[in-house]
Amino acid sequence: MTAKGRVNLKNICKRFGSFVALDHIDLEIEPVEFFALLGPSGSGKTTTLRMIAGLDSPDEGVIEVDGVDVTHAPPGERDIAMVFQNYALYPHMTVRDNIAFPLKMDRVAAADIKRLVLQAAETVDIDHLLDRRPGQLSGGQQQRCALARAIIRQPKLFLLDEPLSNLDAQLRLQTRVELKKLQRSLNVTAIYVTHDQEEAMTLADRMAVFLDGAIMQIGTPEEVFNRPRTIQVAAFIGSPPMNLLPANLQGTTLTIEGRDFELSAAPPTQAESVIMGTRPSHVRIDPNGIPAQLYLSENLGESYLLNLYLGEHLVKVRVAEMLGVTDGDTVPISFDVNAIHLFDANTGLRIERG
Amino acid sequence: MLVSAASLLLLVWVFPLLWAILVSLKSENEVLAYPPNLIFEPIAQNYKDALFGDFSIVPSLVTSTIVAVSTTFLTIVLAVPAAYAFARLRLPAKKTLGFYTLATQMVPPVGLVIPYFLILNRVNWLDTYQGMIIVYLTFSLPFAIWLMVSYMEDIPLEMEEAALLDKASRLQTLWHIIIPQVRGGIAVTVIFVFLNAWNEFLFAVQLGGNTVRPVTVAMYNFVSVEQTLWAKLAAAALIAMLPVVIIGIAAQKQIVKGLTVGAVKGGGRR
Repeated sequence: MTAKGRVNLKNICKRFGSFVALDHIDLEIEPVEFFALLGPSGSGKTTTLRMIAGLDSPDEGVIEVDGVDVTHAPPGERDIAMVFQNYALYPHMTVRDNIAFPLKMDRVAAADIKRLVLQAAETVDIDHLLDRRPGQLSGGQQQRCALARAIIRQPKLFLLDEPLSNLDAQLRLQTRVELKKLQRSLNVTAIYVTHDQEEAMTLADRMAVFLDGAIMQIGTPEEVFNRPRTIQVAAFIGSPPMNLLPANLQGTTLTIEGRDFELSAAPPTQAESVIMGTRPSHVRIDPNGIPAQLYLSENLGESYLLNLYLGEHLVKVRVAEMLGVTDGDTVPISFDVNAIHLFDANTGLRIERG
Repeated sequence: MLVSAASLLLLVWVFPLLWAILVSLKSENEVLAYPPNLIFEPIAQNYKDALFGDFSIVPSLVTSTIVAVSTTFLTIVLAVPAAYAFARLRLPAKKTLGFYTLATQMVPPVGLVIPYFLILNRVNWLDTYQGMIIVYLTFSLPFAIWLMVSYMEDIPLEMEEAALLDKASRLQTLWHIIIPQVRGGIAVTVIFVFLNAWNEFLFAVQLGGNTVRPVTVAMYNFVSVEQTLWAKLAAAALIAMLPVVIIGIAAQKQIVKGLTVGAVKGGGRR
């Protein structure tokens, strides 16, 4: 069987009045991939998903599924299933009828519907709730019902619009794992919209980072986390995201807040004005470091997060122990120069370091 | 305090009904007795006369039923898709159309009697069922559309989108997803439209006649230049009131919900 569910977005543009929701984006999603569309609210990720579903149409550009142009095809003709943020279950129908609805519309024989509904319900473990109505289910059960309704048709594409955001924190973690397992067992392309980068990092095979209607970066979670392509991506990814500090670069010498750091090799750039990025775990307390003012420490359980002011810049540092420092103290800090990221301050683009 | 105020109000409202019940059980002579007799022997003759006498209201009850049921049925058949279109579709001149729909409710009905009379006369539809029903539709439709729109707007858009993705057509979505969820609204609309058509007098008396004579008009036969048969009139009125009262009691819950729809988000729907 040839893998199905390849999605191609070519030069997609969408405006709502004068607001540009999507500014000429290109995206290619491989068959059976778990692909996350990640970005803050209003970045265009949901608009993209809705256009793939056929619930909105682009002002410009082409959408292809398995090589077929579906740009203006109605949603029902795209062989796509979607799980909505609020699940969109039909409140007047039982769970059984909710799950069966797509097959009924597809005129599947009643006996087959009965068998397939049970099968789908068993897959998501709600086969004991088939005669209840959505209003009688918990949030997690409603979500499973929505999943069952989506998988029953064995669609080409499985679209998920922030499906975990209405669940409580613990259930969210549990469902996240199950969702990934489900997608693997169904062997179907899944496109997942989220503003939660942790969800995207853990679930996705690849992801696209959206910002202001444009795609900032496409890559595996590792690529996006370890090599953010722009300052904006660096500022968005990571919990908390990396510290970004203005610096000066002269050959192999990087000057931050008047202190020189020697890099192992000169970065391939002409830019002198750069932005240095470093993850909170790559900043350390060093008696010979640059003095910074401890503004507030946060106890995260397994570690502490120190919020320090280095000059006028806030720097977050993750440490295993507090080492006797308290809020208001001056704490000298230093950076692991091998783990830092450099960005051109003018273009905002990453400077690769060989 | 509140209870006594409520009781007083109730007494004021229920007084005409109590009066009608008492009168309907008296003979015509006793009705006019002064001072009125509070203690009397009740008789059922007035009801017999109203139903089976010279001025029997039974044919008129049938007429009223035909007119009210037809008006209600047509109103729902037309108002549901119209309300859906107003609530969901991107229509040209939607706002203007919406305003026009409401504007028809702002005209005092009495101002429309003569135009409607002239129009029906021109098309030879005076004293016909179709003429009467069409006139009633012009009042019931805007009201029904306006009421149904608020119910439909209450349904999350995603639910329809989910249905469209599940390969349902617009009509299937309306039938399987929307209508079952607004059945409370449909029930309220049915009740209001039926009651209005059943109780209507002004247009029925002007545009009806011998063929189409609803019960509200027929009752008028008990009032003549020489005398008013109060007892029979009261009996006929109570009989005519019966369907209204039965529907009112049966649908009390739905009516209250219908009147408060939109007051609390999602409060009126389920």
